[in-house]
Amino acid sequence: MEKDLMIHGKENMPLMEKLKILADAAKYDVSCSSSGVGRRGDGTGIGNTLSAGICHSFGADGRCISLLKILFTNECIYDCKYCINRKSNDVPRATFTPDEICELTIQFYRRNYIEGLFLSSGIVYSPTYTMELIYEAVHKLRTLYRFQGYIHVKAIPGADPQLIQRLGLLADRMSVNLELPTAEGLKRLAPNKHRKNILSPMRQIQQGITQNKNEIVVYKHAPSFVPAGQSTQMIVGATQESDYQVMMVAENLYKKFELKRVYYSAFVNVNQDRELPALPGGPPLLREHRLYQADWLLRFYGFEAGELLSEQKPNFNVLLDPKADWALRHLELFPVEINRADYRMILRVPGIGVKSAQRIVRARRNGNLNFEDLKRIGVTLKRALYFITCNGKMMYPTKMDEDYITRNLIDRKEKLPFDRDGMTYKQLSLFDDSEECLWKNII
Amino acid sequence: MEEYYLICEDSLEGIFTGIYDAYLKKKPHGQIHLSLGEDENYRLFAAYESCQPDEQKAARVAATIIREFGKETYLAICRALASEKPDKGEAVYKTVVTGLSMKDKRDIMGNLANPYIHRVFELARFTANEAHYHVEFLRFKELENKILYASMGPKNNVITFIVPHFADRLPLENFVIHDEVRNIFALHPARRDWYLVSGEEKDWRTEHTFSEGEKMYSELFSSFFHTIAIKERNNYGLQRNMLPIRYRRYMTEFQENSSI
Repeated sequence: MEKDLMIHGKENMPLMEKLKILADAAKYDVSCSSSGVGRRGDGTGIGNTLSAGICHSFGADGRCISLLKILFTNECIYDCKYCINRKSNDVPRATFTPDEICELTIQFYRRNYIEGLFLSSGIVYSPTYTMELIYEAVHKLRTLYRFQGYIHVKAIPGADPQLIQRLGLLADRMSVNLELPTAEGLKRLAPNKHRKNILSPMRQIQQGITQNKNEIVVYKHAPSFVPAGQSTQMIVGATQESDYQVMMVAENLYKKFELKRVYYSAFVNVNQDRELPALPGGPPLLREHRLYQADWLLRFYGFEAGELLSEQKPNFNVLLDPKADWALRHLELFPVEINRADYRMILRVPGIGVKSAQRIVRARRNGNLNFEDLKRIGVTLKRALYFITCNGKMMYPTKMDEDYITRNLIDRKEKLPFDRDGMTYKQLSLFDDSEECLWKNII
Repeated sequence: MEEYYLICEDSLEGIFTGIYDAYLKKKPHGQIHLSLGEDENYRLFAAYESCQPDEQKAARVAATIIREFGKETYLAICRALASEKPDKGEAVYKTVVTGLSMKDKRDIMGNLANPYIHRVFELARFTANEAHYHVEFLRFKELENKILYASMGPKNNVITFIVPHFADRLPLENFVIHDEVRNIFALHPARRDWYLVSGEEKDWRTEHTFSEGEKMYSELFSSFFHTIAIKERNNYGLQRNMLPIRYRRYMTEFQENSSI
């Protein structure tokens, strides 16, 4: 009874103000994708989902806005040093009611502002109590409002596993934040959180997904459990981990926990805590960018973390993307003959992406390809030309020399990985094609 | 060597009829070209003919394309023909000719080394990209009578590619999508099939006022849009890459509450 009073005690606050506070508090969560599950509407409610996901807008920071990303409440009993909502911070606090969340989602969705709901929360009273609040809102949205669009919810470490199981049957994607790459970092910066508590719901969701897939084979109409898979995120640059450590953690998450996505979040120093690094140059965006590039190499290009980095070379090259960097260290494998090499080797050529590689393999069945054809197919020749031959010939006479090629790859202005404000996202946006924007180029 | 130019109407039916008539000529295809509309620069030593769109001829060409190349390719050709580019008729015609002489006809769109096929691929991609942009960025406003209304100004004729998406998503809503450039309306009555109306002179925006909730929710969303960006990461170049400026005049979050 007393609990209810405290939680719903601020209902008088105007909706506009609540939304501002609770969107502002949620914005540091990276994940916004609405991908992973394709589901047509059944004609009785509102909404459907596309497996490639849909972005509906792009904010001033260039990040995609796909879901109504909000916290249920920014009240929190924890005191994580990096978090704006920690209990020792004096910030305005607000709490939604389930109905407010449902109305906002439906009204935004009808107007095509959003693809669905992303609901996270600060911890009130206990993880289980908080999950119950989230469950209530999501359940109402799915049943009373008949919402069939995308829902992404946070599983809160330490919450009752049964509750996570029930929520998984309503949500499309669930995520548990790893917060920091190593257990030591977590201990130091998030004293109320424990690595074990984070990994166990992750494992539970993984097993739930596997079990559900088997059920669906047997019973076609069994309700699906987290059909769009689970994701996680970790903060990069708040603690001392090397890129190598971060990539090894990510690789393990993909292999052992079968995650759909691992997100990296460049640390933004919001609290100026003395335990945290001051970042005079702003958040480590270039580092985050390199991690995402490497992440794509792991997921779509058949690379292993150990090929890209090692104990001896623990950090990514600032000037070159990880793929070009790898190629330059393995010049003995190049040049590659485009008309004969196998798909996996073509994928490893800098300047050739997944789509170009697929098109090459398909187009060469109708005859040998030349450089003009490659250009039309979409290969970035000014990067690829050092690494390929067409019909035995290189595009220009080129020395297979590491320094020479490096100079040519980075000498060009547009090839520099950063521009005035620190970096350019060109490469990332291109790579982004592979998931969110795949839809555009399916033909 | 005499060259023939067949002038077709700028529509699926018109161009398919042109392809049918080109085959009727029984001349080498290299000498026959399709062009659209009237403002062609006439050439010396070339014969010009105009083709009347013919439903039956067009249907036979469409059936051949589906039978020989498959549905996926047919869809790509439809997308290419929705393009605004005037060379689309010629590209599709020569693509069909090339495809019919290929060993593996089903793989026609993979043959990107052929300039015509590549052009069709490119045009289809323009249209598909623009259609996808509209799926992302189209914004509905609620009118007084609860009808959702959206207007757009696409370069290519994308309306038929995007309405099915919204019809599946909003089955219980009455909604209207208006292509301002071509003055075409797509109408979707709740629980029923959608249809197109073209050339209607009605201006919906002056005849109807927006609902009470419209002002509130568009303000809420605009506020959400500005709040969710992390200012330490501002990157307007990236924003412009992902959300081209020409779409913004139709988007709620970029409007200064002027229309309400």
